[in-house]
Amino acid sequence: MKQDYFSANNIKYIDYKDVEILKRFLNANGKIVNHKRSGITSKNQRKLATAIKNARFMGLLPFVAK
Amino acid sequence: MSETENDDKKSAEIAENKDTAESAKSAGKQIYELGYLLVPTIAEENAPALFGNLKELVVSFGGEIISSEMPRMIRLAYVMAKTIDNVKNKFDTAYFGWIKFEAEKSAVAEIKKKLDANTDLIRFLITKTVRENTLAPKKFSGGGSSRYRGSAEHKEEKEPSAPMDEEKVDKEIEALVTEAA
Repeated sequence: MKQDYFSANNIKYIDYKDVEILKRFLNANGKIVNHKRSGITSKNQRKLATAIKNARFMGLLPFVAK
Repeated sequence: MSETENDDKKSAEIAENKDTAESAKSAGKQIYELGYLLVPTIAEENAPALFGNLKELVVSFGGEIISSEMPRMIRLAYVMAKTIDNVKNKFDTAYFGWIKFEAEKSAVAEIKKKLDANTDLIRFLITKTVRENTLAPKKFSGGGSSRYRGSAEHKEEKEPSAPMDEEKVDKEIEALVTEAA
């Protein structure tokens, strides 16, 4: 993923409920992938991090995947 | 004559809408979303009633509901604990739903207080959001639209990859057949 996924797909607000999208940015352990690998803008990376953390709180995504 | 009257009415309506929008802005209103997890111990048929109660709660504090989703059973990604009547309960399933609403900033604090006391909720999350639908539309059959168009000639080959749209595909095939005939 070289290009920013969110601007490429015209996503302006990163929603914590959209688990299918958020899952793309998790590695096998459930960690958030870094800037370098995700290839998204800094602004979106920050929003993505918040969205993933909200999703984790609501039990939609794991904090740690076995 | 009647047309001009209608126009007048329309313009008046638009003006009213503008007024309400402006007043909303000046009053410090904000779009919020309440996501919540209901305890799985309640029966399936009671979930909509509790959902209604939550909606009423929001409305009673001057909230204006924009959109919402019915609570549905989900598997939680990890086990959650909630203490109800000094008993620690563990849950690995819950009903998840959400309500998007517009409300005063002060009202949200009151809503939060009420929800804190609600024993039917495992957890809830109030976030600031935007009025537009934030869920990205689901893509069909995994592939991009350009790929789908490109393979219009090989429709029969593509069919198995799009089980969701069987009806649509059937209709399209019918149309093609009639065209050919």
